[in-house]
Amino acid sequence: MDQFLQQLLNGITLGSLYALIAVGYTVVYGIVQLINFAHGEVFMIGAFGSLATWTIFFKGQLGLWVLPFMIVGAVLAAVVVALILERVAYRPLRHAPRLAPLITAIGISVFLQEAVRLFYPGAKSALPFPQIDMVTGPAFQAGPVTVRRSAVFVIGALVVCAILLWFFINRTKMGRGMLAVSQDPDTARLMGVNVDRIIAVAFAIGAALAGVAGVAQGLQNSNIDFFIGFMAGLKAFTAAVLGGIGNIYGAVVGGLVLGVVEAMAVQFIPGTFGGSPWKDVWAFVLLIVVLVFRPQGLMGARVVDRA
Amino acid sequence: MTTSQTTAAVSNPRPSSQWLITLVGVALLIIGCFLSWSYVPALLGNLSVNFFPGAIQIFMIIVGVLGLFFLLLRKGLFPGAHKLLDSARGLRALSVTAAAFMVLVVIVIGLQAPGLANADPGVFVTLVGALAMVAGSFRMPSDPTVDPITVHLPSWVEILVIVAMLTVVLFGAAYALGQEDGTVFSLFLLFLAGLVVALARAGLFSWFGVIAQRNRRVIMLGAFAVAFLFPFTQNGSDANMSIATQVLIFATTALGLNIVVGLAGLLDLGYIAFLGAGAYVSAMMSHSAFANIGWKPPFLVVVIISAIVSSALGLIIGSPTLRVSGDYLAIVTLAFGEIFRLTVNNLDGNNGPDLTNGPNGIPGIPELEIGSFNFGDTHNVLGIPLGRFANYYFLLLVVAAIIITVFTRLNNSRIGRGWVAIREDEKAAEAMGVNVFGLKLFAFAGGAFLAGMAGSIKAHQDVSVTPDQYIFLESAFLLAAIVLGGMGTVAGVLVGATVLKLLPEKLRFVADYRLLTFGLLLVLMMRFRPEGLVPSQRRALEFHEDDADLAERIEDAHIEAVTPMEGRA
Amino acid sequence: MTTSAPERPAAAAPTGSPVLEATGVVMRFGGLTAVNNVDLRVNQGEIVGLIGPNGAGKTTFFNCLTGMYKPTEGQVKFEGTVLPPKPRAVVQAGMARTFQNIRLFANMTALENVMVGRYCRTSAMALTSIVRGPKFRREEEATRARAQELLNFVGLGRTSEHLARNLPYGDQRRLEIARALATDPKLILLDEPTAGMNPKETEEAKQLIFRIRDMGLAVVVIEHDMRFIFSLCDRVLCLVRGETLIEGSPHVVQSDPRVIEAYIGKPDEDELEEEAAKEDHA
Repeated sequence: MDQFLQQLLNGITLGSLYALIAVGYTVVYGIVQLINFAHGEVFMIGAFGSLATWTIFFKGQLGLWVLPFMIVGAVLAAVVVALILERVAYRPLRHAPRLAPLITAIGISVFLQEAVRLFYPGAKSALPFPQIDMVTGPAFQAGPVTVRRSAVFVIGALVVCAILLWFFINRTKMGRGMLAVSQDPDTARLMGVNVDRIIAVAFAIGAALAGVAGVAQGLQNSNIDFFIGFMAGLKAFTAAVLGGIGNIYGAVVGGLVLGVVEAMAVQFIPGTFGGSPWKDVWAFVLLIVVLVFRPQGLMGARVVDRA
Repeated sequence: MTTSQTTAAVSNPRPSSQWLITLVGVALLIIGCFLSWSYVPALLGNLSVNFFPGAIQIFMIIVGVLGLFFLLLRKGLFPGAHKLLDSARGLRALSVTAAAFMVLVVIVIGLQAPGLANADPGVFVTLVGALAMVAGSFRMPSDPTVDPITVHLPSWVEILVIVAMLTVVLFGAAYALGQEDGTVFSLFLLFLAGLVVALARAGLFSWFGVIAQRNRRVIMLGAFAVAFLFPFTQNGSDANMSIATQVLIFATTALGLNIVVGLAGLLDLGYIAFLGAGAYVSAMMSHSAFANIGWKPPFLVVVIISAIVSSALGLIIGSPTLRVSGDYLAIVTLAFGEIFRLTVNNLDGNNGPDLTNGPNGIPGIPELEIGSFNFGDTHNVLGIPLGRFANYYFLLLVVAAIIITVFTRLNNSRIGRGWVAIREDEKAAEAMGVNVFGLKLFAFAGGAFLAGMAGSIKAHQDVSVTPDQYIFLESAFLLAAIVLGGMGTVAGVLVGATVLKLLPEKLRFVADYRLLTFGLLLVLMMRFRPEGLVPSQRRALEFHEDDADLAERIEDAHIEAVTPMEGRA
Repeated sequence: MTTSAPERPAAAAPTGSPVLEATGVVMRFGGLTAVNNVDLRVNQGEIVGLIGPNGAGKTTFFNCLTGMYKPTEGQVKFEGTVLPPKPRAVVQAGMARTFQNIRLFANMTALENVMVGRYCRTSAMALTSIVRGPKFRREEEATRARAQELLNFVGLGRTSEHLARNLPYGDQRRLEIARALATDPKLILLDEPTAGMNPKETEEAKQLIFRIRDMGLAVVVIEHDMRFIFSLCDRVLCLVRGETLIEGSPHVVQSDPRVIEAYIGKPDEDELEEEAAKEDHA
């Protein structure tokens, strides 16, 4: 039972990270029916953005007060890159055959990885991430469960972001515009909604959350490298499908479920196929199983294939 | 530019000033090439001997001769041809190439000699010649040309043109591969690109295109003959054959992927994993000391088993995914690629049954042996030694031929029509009774089958299989070859694969930026030329929904092609 | 099965055995009922018209018949058997359709478009296609010949090698009909076959439909052009807000005051819009 609770917490921690990234897939998909493959890379850029902010302005400082600046740095980097991508690469292809934006996304993904690897100083190998006071450091015990400080940060970040997102979508004009565009872009355009702007906002929101996730990843793993976006992106996509792609809350739920499943798989699958070398395999097996039995996801997205 | 001017330019026997300036430019260009370009003999493959042009000087002489040809063309010396080719546009491209080339040469001499003091007058003579060509040709009016579709030459002339073209390709490839000096190789590429652009601007390629369209079979056989003859030009040298073999295995894999992406329109990002599955099966059934399967059937059986295992994996991945939406396939295949990599990493005896020897892979795979023919031995044919890589090269050529046959024949069949219909409008295709799911699954699993086949050969050719040979970036690399060359065409993929595989091999400085460039290439191609360098017409139409002129042109060409000969004027 | 009396006394006498029998078809999207308890019976060699104001659920009903939608309630019987709600199975059984907003394979030639229609009546698989076996060649030739024949039938014989997207609008509609006929249907459903046509083309379309009928096919036509419908059809069904308003001979429907009211009176705006959106999805 103790092990179960411990793995549950580990799973939720991991899942919160997935959820933060998964929202980006699902928001964009809900509005333009595009799987933004490069989203994992946006997350990676966020992590490097926060590291760069720290290296340039606060090198040596580890006080908690630095953290907000690092988050801002991450979000800025991620959002700027995502907006450039949207404007330069995706927007011109909005009416092209489906294959075109997908291939573009692959290209961007490879390009961003390589750009960071080649041009970010020292990024050819993993870089240490600043270990900020309070959110890192020795874990504490809560009953039978060992809680890492970074876990508290990750889960807290997800809760705050989810609340902010809910307010944005339901309480602002822009958020309602997003809903309108996701229902029917043509009608929304006729009603005077600026569709281009809404799409850009969707990219920006996803990127902002991915930026936060980037900081969380750095604190969790204590180092980052140019390749973290690949696996994280795949997992987050799995989470988005699991929750029902296009459904924002589904992405959150999907992320958490995926994280817990992975953690439990490590602990409870017996024999040689258990254990951490296989956890990623189980995550993807889950993706395929979901596609077979419930392609609309756990939370049930709207019609997946809008013809 | 008015019509009267243009006619005057073509028929007026009195040379105009621009024409004369260009002629002088061409003359200087050629003369300069016969003079020494630099005192330093070690530079750019020795340009220091008068009247004995070095390699890059010969490039410029070829440019000069072509320029002369265009100039004479303008004077109507080759009746008939001036209707086909726009000499002014050709000359412009040629002169820009020459000028850029010479500027680069001067810079290289300045940097590597070092110092321009080491340059001989010859290089400046040629540079001035090139600049004079620019000055002359840019003031030349364009010629009116006719649509090449309407020009009919005797078929033996057309076939002769094809043979000539293919011969140039053969020797060009042999030359390029033999080039050791990176700078000379880069200059050769510039020269080649300039030549291609000049001929394309002059309209030669649209004419070639028409000829190629009319003589499909000849082209195919000819290209195959050229590829077959290539090892005989290498005199038993393994260095180039090794590269050629790698290019060929890459191209073969890309051809298989092009059935999936180009014909069926499915984005398969785990293709390399199917290749890997084939390679691993083949390795596990080989006589390697690390192979853990006791059964060692003959290779032909292994090929079949590898292909079947790959396609079975394709069915497992494809059948749930293809029912949903096209976008999901891309990401699920991506995930499959990861599953494959992780699985072969883990099956090392510690984390699972010992099948793949984990991260170390399976080394020491013995040479292939079919019957009594050992692929590791050197064989002499007509006195020309053909080494290990040449043997694999020939085998891969056969596989490539099989895949090309499958590709073209499926494309021109009921199944191919079904694929086009699905790409065009999936819902309508379904409503017209096309088995959408079945056809997609067939393409996907069939592509995996071919990849498994290629993989089983690759394992032996590479001598070892390791997990890090079969990662996502390799899949992206394959995709780049297809996108660059042209989705849905054989020639395009061959071009794309050759360019993408050859450049990093020959240019080490490109190798480091290889992936960066390819990522960017994918984005730029999708934005500006989604149909690729050698497009399939249907794909060109699909990517340019709004281009009515293009549609008219392609339709005219098609009607021309299907109208029987006797029906023509 | 006995030829029972028509459900409604106003209906014209059946001209042949029933091909299609749809009973109690209901289609709901969330809270919206697009089609509510509609019956339709079509006999061999009969032309049935389906009319109704915009958003009455005509196309939705078509989609239910052809397996594009799975009806929420009710059943669709074709030649006595209930069809699975899969477009391909429906085509295989012998029911083909055209689309309101033309859905040709734009970048294929006219001939290729029709050849795609033959897909479900041919069977050459991969192996014979790759080795170009005798079966493949025989079938390919037959497919081509049949496609050309159908193009001639609809009057596009001379433009068989033109790209579908380059054809004029009226020709595109005729090409859609040829493509549907290529599936060897027993019943063809035409969704607004004359939309956007001039009077001359409309008249030609009418003659074409008569010729299709004369081949022994049953035809169901959705149309807004009343003169066209009433001079073409043996029987007319009028839908309003997803429900059957009246079914009967053209003469009866034409003179029914409720039909006129349905067209002139304003239907509820909101419902109309939602309905139109749903139809776009089809």
